[in-house]
Amino acid sequence: MPGEMVSDKADRIAYAFVDNGKTYSTVVGLFSDGKLVPLEGPYEPLAEDMIVGIVAEVKFSGYSVEMNTAYTAFLSSREIRERYSMGDAIFACVSMIDEVRSTELSDAHKLPSGRLVKVSSVKVPRIIGKKNSMIDMIKAATGCEIFVGRNGYVWICDGANPTLAEKAIRMIEAQAHTTGLTDRVSRYLKENGGKDYSPSHVPSQPQGIGSQQGAQQGSEGGHSPYGSRSGGQGGFQRHSRYPPRQHGYR
Amino acid sequence: MESINEIKRDTLSALLASGKRPDNRGMHDYRPITVQSGMMQNPDGAAIATIGKSQVMAGIKFDVATPFPDRPTEGVLSTSADLLPLASHLFETGPPSDESIELARVVDRGIRSSNIIDLNSFFLAEAKVLALYIDIFVLDHDGNLIDCSALAAMAALLSTRMPKIEGGKIIRGEFSGKLPLKGKVVTSTFGKLGERYFLDPSLDEEAGMDCRLTLATTEKHLCAGQKGGWGTVSERDIMTMLDIANEKAKELRALLPE
Amino acid sequence: MGGNAANKPELLKNGKRVDGRRVDELRPIKIVARVLNDADGSAYVEWGKNKILAGVYGPSECIPRHDQSLYRAIVKCRYNMAPFSGAEEHGRSGPNRRSKELSKVIREAFENVIIAESFPKTQIEVFIEVLQSDGGTRCAAVTAAAVALADAGIPMKDMICACAVGKIEGEVVVDLGKEEDNFGESDMPIAFSPRTGDVLLFQMDGLLTKEELARGIELARGASEKIRAIQFEAIKKVYEEPREERFLIIK
Repeated sequence: MPGEMVSDKADRIAYAFVDNGKTYSTVVGLFSDGKLVPLEGPYEPLAEDMIVGIVAEVKFSGYSVEMNTAYTAFLSSREIRERYSMGDAIFACVSMIDEVRSTELSDAHKLPSGRLVKVSSVKVPRIIGKKNSMIDMIKAATGCEIFVGRNGYVWICDGANPTLAEKAIRMIEAQAHTTGLTDRVSRYLKENGGKDYSPSHVPSQPQGIGSQQGAQQGSEGGHSPYGSRSGGQGGFQRHSRYPPRQHGYR
Repeated sequence: MESINEIKRDTLSALLASGKRPDNRGMHDYRPITVQSGMMQNPDGAAIATIGKSQVMAGIKFDVATPFPDRPTEGVLSTSADLLPLASHLFETGPPSDESIELARVVDRGIRSSNIIDLNSFFLAEAKVLALYIDIFVLDHDGNLIDCSALAAMAALLSTRMPKIEGGKIIRGEFSGKLPLKGKVVTSTFGKLGERYFLDPSLDEEAGMDCRLTLATTEKHLCAGQKGGWGTVSERDIMTMLDIANEKAKELRALLPE
Repeated sequence: MGGNAANKPELLKNGKRVDGRRVDELRPIKIVARVLNDADGSAYVEWGKNKILAGVYGPSECIPRHDQSLYRAIVKCRYNMAPFSGAEEHGRSGPNRRSKELSKVIREAFENVIIAESFPKTQIEVFIEVLQSDGGTRCAAVTAAAVALADAGIPMKDMICACAVGKIEGEVVVDLGKEEDNFGESDMPIAFSPRTGDVLLFQMDGLLTKEELARGIELARGASEKIRAIQFEAIKKVYEEPREERFLIIK
């Protein structure tokens, strides 16, 4: 909890701060192995994150993209081959974050029609699951292609049962910190109309992916349709870019 | 602030054209509804209604007031609505917006036109009447605030107790029976997109729809109506929606306390 | 302070207060976190007869732009009372002068603990609505807002809370109810950061000696430990009993 001590020495721990030689948590989170993992919190972009964004403004040299942060995200026209209009959903890579927290995107491609589900970005690894197991299970049971952005935006493409997919994702979001979740979700999908849509029935891949592989293959490395951070296995691992930022937790 | 529509208008159109809604509801289905009432001590009546994830609280307070000059023996009924900033990232702080004023007036119209409250019974003495204030506090916005507010207001009225009056003054904390009501008013709001109309639009649907139509009904009559938004409705639409509203009103009334 | 002397009740009799409490006893407090669906964080507090709802949005883009700071998030706070919240007449909609003053002192309390440097150029909004009031609303408001901020995942140096102490019939007591506030000799709401013992909000009216002041602060500090435990429980419950849809339930 905020204000609770996590270490009686002055340590540099993410999401904690030092006061008078002791380290305290700043958030509601789980502490183990010297790491503090928040259970809630805003999305903080990291380079190489794959995110789902919505084009908010068409500018002269590119696009302003809304992606669940308080800061602007910009996609330069030079980075992409397609053209977008306001309201389009895209799947893109965070290429750079500058000191004023503006984000630049690259490697984008437009997503087909569907719907956006906003979840807490902290829960994304659980929605993806170990080696994409959780998200693959949902896709197979609902016959919808799904793109999970590390920023907490999940795009469910039109398909057989997108509402069931949405409900399953919300269920995971609420119970992300519990055990046995995969089984419960599997049962929920079966009991609520989930059928078996094997990979060959999943609707066609988005155009213009270029070097990206088809959705089913998404796993380690490369650009999978899931915003898992490289090295992430599901669970709450965060990319170690710490020590924290200068204006962060001292 | 512009909100990014979560479901694009064409996706919504396509869904509706095939008779489906984003949350798999039927075209004439309400989301799950709950009503709690009579749980506060300071207001003379109070209730919270939820429709799906929308949550609205209504509070009732009596005061002694001077009547309107053209209706000197009639009590005063006044309804206000607050779209609280904590209810939605779309709501801002500041003076009442057009939306909150419309909301208050539509809910008010249903209650006033239906005559379920006998305002003449609020007469106390020369230039003194009872004023009944209905305050709608929107706590959580996920669409269809009109029906949610009207339901909360009606439930609050049903839980309202008449204050004890002595010498033309209200004795706070003491009551003399319940507020007499001649029936229950409920509203049904439809959204319209293209040729399709659907009951109880969620926030996603409101963002993509053309317009909405609200119908307030008692057991026997239509007592208030309001169309909002840019689109148009046909006469046949209105008649059909009234039939559906009357059907649905029975379900809604059953959820209200006695 | 400021009640009519003619109907002043007996505030203290045989060590018991008007509602039967001892001088160092708090009213019953119940806190539920995560009760709203749209807000990033929310909490509902029942403190005696007080019923207070807090909602938090942020960090989000700072609007209007010219308010933003390049170095930190701007904290905005609005404390507001429902027109039906008081036991007496029907009030007006929207914050009055008292509400605006409270919005400011509550905001300043949180500006101390929110680690705003983590989110430059953004705003964090704290909205507090008093649904029913019965004395000590600003303390319940601070307590609710702290839980709502934690629910939203906003980093803070501590979970703060507040409690009012005062003097009735010459005795220093903790957690004044409305009658004690109206007819007592002093009212002093204080907000603490229990981790450090620092005072983040301090207001006082009435007459106190130096010893009474010290005793009051000590009582409030003790109370803050108990209140913080209730806040932690409320947050833990969110994870022990997860729900997808959130409801505000008032019994």
